[in-house]
Amino acid sequence: MSRVETDLQALALLVEWPDTPDVAPDVAARIAVPPPRRRAPRRLGLALAVVLLAVAVAMVVPPARSAILDWLGIGSARIERVDELPAVQLTAPVELLGQPTTLEDARTRAGFPVAPPPRGEAAPDEVRVVDGRRVSYLWLDGDRIRLLVTQVPGLLQRGAILGKLIPPSVRMERFYIDGDGAVFLSGGPHAVYLLGPSGSFEEDHGWLAGNTLLVDRGGATLRIEGELDRERAVELARKME
Amino acid sequence: MVSRPLDEASLVVRAKHGDAAAYEELVRMHQAIAFRVALVAAGDRGDAEEAVQDGFVKAYRALGRFREGAPFRPWLLRIVANEARNRRRSSGRRAGLALRAAAAASGDAAPSPEAAALSRERRDALLTALGSLEERDRAVLVHRFLLDLGEEETATALGVRRGTVKSRTARALERLRGVLGEEQA
Repeated sequence: MSRVETDLQALALLVEWPDTPDVAPDVAARIAVPPPRRRAPRRLGLALAVVLLAVAVAMVVPPARSAILDWLGIGSARIERVDELPAVQLTAPVELLGQPTTLEDARTRAGFPVAPPPRGEAAPDEVRVVDGRRVSYLWLDGDRIRLLVTQVPGLLQRGAILGKLIPPSVRMERFYIDGDGAVFLSGGPHAVYLLGPSGSFEEDHGWLAGNTLLVDRGGATLRIEGELDRERAVELARKME
Repeated sequence: MVSRPLDEASLVVRAKHGDAAAYEELVRMHQAIAFRVALVAAGDRGDAEEAVQDGFVKAYRALGRFREGAPFRPWLLRIVANEARNRRRSSGRRAGLALRAAAAASGDAAPSPEAAALSRERRDALLTALGSLEERDRAVLVHRFLLDLGEEETATALGVRRGTVKSRTARALERLRGVLGEEQA
């Protein structure tokens, strides 16, 4: 250990921290009051109703049902192979990615550690946030999303579970990026769902996705999706330290 | 008969099932370290106090998502640190280090040999040098050395990976030596 490290350890014994305020009584008083129920925006509610209906339809199809049931209770990124995609009408209502905002605001409202957009790349055309749940960076070609980078709370918070349905035509490569578990999905469409911790569908932004890289970063799951190969996707992930 | 205090895991389980008294015990158990982490992140005592209180309330409401058996403190510290950082950002204030070193180790016990060996000049120089570092360098050193958090807890509180804590600590120490005008040992 170097001298400066030894001295820092010694300094720790000498630092005069301000007295710790006793917040226990105030915390106890506040948790005794139930939190106000937040109403989901009407459009989001309508979209969710459509998704839930579609999922209900999918539940009638045995393979899809077993896949969906298998997801429940399983943490973080979960991938299921299915013979064919369930009969869910996949749409991509961009509103489900939240409302456009600034990067600073999105990171403030995320409630989990959010990596900045990739260094040295063009800035995203849009930043969207769903409070406490998801931050998305969007690069657009007109109305089309060319590249989508989404971050959701990951292993530690277990606030959301990312589920995917993978048909046999889709190639799945598992590997590590600097120690973080990663999966690259390519070669065809796959369905994407976001499940809540109780197993219910809290949100959904399913669509027919392009190639997708999923990286488990402990505190958050990073998803990079678009017309890009594995090498390019990994490059982008590495630029988001 | 003296009842044994409940361990943290038991308190978390009870709190998850709505036992407010168990959660209050958890608050008392962790509020000191939570306040210091918040103080470092917020750079302001008032904001730190609010962040700690809000962080504990948010953590309570998120307990349903907390995985039983996982360590509670890192999870809590991250929520509190996020609250504190949010306050600092919204105030537009730059993170600072408003810490002072005591003339001698606190408490009745004799100062440790290391503490006694650290001259007043050296203490002041270290604190000044720490304060001059960039925020992320300063934060990692304060968490690792002054708050005595392990790499994993530091990573969680700062919202980075453990490997990043390792590399950032090494770089920050190097820069600290540079500010102090010292060669690497």
